[in-house]
Amino acid sequence: MIWLTWRQHRKQAFYTLLALAALAALLVPIGLAMRHTFSDLGLTDCASQLARADVAQATRETCDAGYRRFGNQYGNLSLVAVLLITLPVLIGLFWGAPLVAREVEQGTHRFVWTQGVGRTRWALVKFGLVSGSVLILATVYGLGMSWWVDPLTKAAHEGRFGMIVFDLQGIVPIGYTLFAVALGVFAGTVWKRMLPAMGITLAGFIGVRAAVELLARRHYQPARTQTFPIEGEGPPEVSRGDWVLAQGVRNPDGTMIAEGGRIQCPSGGKGPEGRVCGAELGLEPGAYNWQLYQPADRFWLFQGIETGVFVALAVLLLYLAIRRVRRIA
Amino acid sequence: MSGTRGQRMDMVLETDRLGKRYGSTWALRDCSLHLPAGRIAALVGPNGAGKSTLLHLAVGLLKPDAGTVRVFGRSPYGDTEGLADIGFVAQDTPLYRDFTAAELVIAGGKLNRRWDATLARQRLAQLGIPPDKPVGKLSGGQRAQVALALALAKQPRLLLLDEPVASLDPLARREFLQSLMGSVAESGTTVLLSSHLLADLERVCDYLIVLNASQVQLTGAVDDLVSEHRQLVGPRHDGGAVGGVAAVVRASHTDRQSTLLVRTDGPVTDPAWTVREVSLEDVVLAYLADGTTQTSHSEWGVPA
Repeated sequence: MIWLTWRQHRKQAFYTLLALAALAALLVPIGLAMRHTFSDLGLTDCASQLARADVAQATRETCDAGYRRFGNQYGNLSLVAVLLITLPVLIGLFWGAPLVAREVEQGTHRFVWTQGVGRTRWALVKFGLVSGSVLILATVYGLGMSWWVDPLTKAAHEGRFGMIVFDLQGIVPIGYTLFAVALGVFAGTVWKRMLPAMGITLAGFIGVRAAVELLARRHYQPARTQTFPIEGEGPPEVSRGDWVLAQGVRNPDGTMIAEGGRIQCPSGGKGPEGRVCGAELGLEPGAYNWQLYQPADRFWLFQGIETGVFVALAVLLLYLAIRRVRRIA
Repeated sequence: MSGTRGQRMDMVLETDRLGKRYGSTWALRDCSLHLPAGRIAALVGPNGAGKSTLLHLAVGLLKPDAGTVRVFGRSPYGDTEGLADIGFVAQDTPLYRDFTAAELVIAGGKLNRRWDATLARQRLAQLGIPPDKPVGKLSGGQRAQVALALALAKQPRLLLLDEPVASLDPLARREFLQSLMGSVAESGTTVLLSSHLLADLERVCDYLIVLNASQVQLTGAVDDLVSEHRQLVGPRHDGGAVGGVAAVVRASHTDRQSTLLVRTDGPVTDPAWTVREVSLEDVVLAYLADGTTQTSHSEWGVPA
C-alpha cells in the first residue's frame, strides 16, 4: 500500500516540492531584506521598549517613525500575504479532492478495492500517508511564514492578531491545510468527480474559514475591556499587538457617544470658544475612551484553539469519508 | 433453495432473492441463482439488465439491499479475506494508466498475500506486452490482457469478468477468450463472464445465466438448456396444454399456424406438431423477448 501510494503520488509530490522551493527562493530574499531594513531603522528593540510602562517620549517617537517608514517601504507585501493564505486550499484542491474522486472517475477503485487489502485499509493508509505528508508541508510553511511576516506584524498596529497575518503563521496553517485536504477527500467521496469535488472543496473551505474568522474567533476567550481617559499627554500606546474588537467613547454613565472613535486631548486643553475636550460631540465631564479587545499575549492560545477546531473538523471529515468509501461501487 | 451441506460445497456463487436498488429503481431484483464449481458461465443480458450490479455484489463492491449473496459460502461485502479467492476484472478494464505493466505486477504483489508474479510476467511476456510502457498507451486488447493477467496472478478460485471483450475488435476478442480458456482449463477456476452478446461467449461457456430487466430469466447448463427446449410448429394454438410441454416460452401466430418455443418435460408425441431442435441463441432470444419492457408514455406525454 505504501509503495502504491508513493508510486501514484510521487509526480505530484515532486511538483509540490518544486513549487514550494520556488516560493522559498522568492520569499527568503525578501524576508532577509525586510529584516535588514528592520534593524537598520533601529526597530529591533522597539517592541520590548514600547512594552515598558515608563517608556520615554523620545524613544516612542523614534520607534513610531521607524515603524511608519518600514510600513511605507514594505506595506505592499501584505498583498503578497493575501496570496499566500490560499496555499492550504490549493493543497486541498490538488491533494485532497482527487484522492478518491480520480479513482472513481477512472474506475480504478474497482481494481484496487478488489485486491486483497480491502478498501477500509486502503482508505486508512492512503488518507494517513497523505495527511502525514501534508502535515509536514504545513508545518514547514507555517514556521517559514512566521519568520517571514515577523517584521511586518511587528510594524503593524494590530500585530500578529491581524486578519491575514494571524492565518499565515504559527500552527494554524497546519489546521487549515489538514482541513482543506480532508474536505477535498470527503467531497470526492460524495460527488465522485474531480471537478465538482474541487469546486465544492473551494466553496466549503472559503465558507468555513470565513465563518470561523469573522464569527467564532473573537469568542474563543471572553474579551477584556479597557478604559482610559480622553485627556492625557502624548498618544496612548495602549494597544500595540492587541486585537481591538470594538472601541468608542462613553459618557460617565456608560452610554456610547462616539462608536468606533477615540479621542485624545492634551490635559486641560480647550477648544475654540473655550469648549472642553469633546463637548461638541456631547461628551460630559468624566467621559472616557473604551475598548473591547483580546490581549496580544493570547496569540498562541488563539492559535491553538483555531488549529484544534480545524483539526477536529478534518478528523470528522476523514471519518465520514472512510464511511462513504465503503458504499462506493 | 435449501440444498444439503454437500451440495452447497460445490456451489461457488449462490444468490437468494438478491436485490439492489439505486434510489427507487431496482437494478437487480429477486435474483436467485447458483453457479456450480468448475463452470465457465456466461452472464448474458441487454445493457442495463443488472449484470454489472450482480458482479459487483458478488465481489463485495456493493452491499445487497435485499436477499443474500454468497461466494464460497461467505458474504462478500466487507469481507477482505474472501477477496483473495476472487479475481475481478471490471468493465473497461480499469488500470492505473500511468503505471507500466511491470509496475502493476509489483502493485498486485503489494496488495495481495497470495500472488504469483512469475505467472503474470510469463503470461505478459508470452503475449508480447511491453513491460515498460504505461498501460494507458497500450491497445485495448493488450490492456484487457494485462487486467486478466493481474486477476489470474491472484490464483483465484472464482474469476469474475465484467464485459471483458465488449470494447475489443473481433480478433482481440478471440485471442482474449482463447487465452482465458487456456489458463483456467488446468486450474479448475470457476469463471463468470458477462456480455450483452451471447455470440461472444457461446463458444466458451458451458453454463448460462440470462438476466433481463433486473431479473433472472434463465439459468442452467448449456447442454441441458438446449436439450430441454424445442420449437413446435403446428396449427393455430389456442393456449391449451400440449403433452410433453412444461411451459411455452414464446409463441407467435399467423392466421392458421402457431410457432412455439417451449420447455419440454418429456417427448412431444402429438402428431399435429412438428418438433424442431433449437440453438442456444434461439433459447436466449426467446427468454429475452419475454421480459416486459416498461413503457414510459406518461413521462413522454404521448398516448399509449
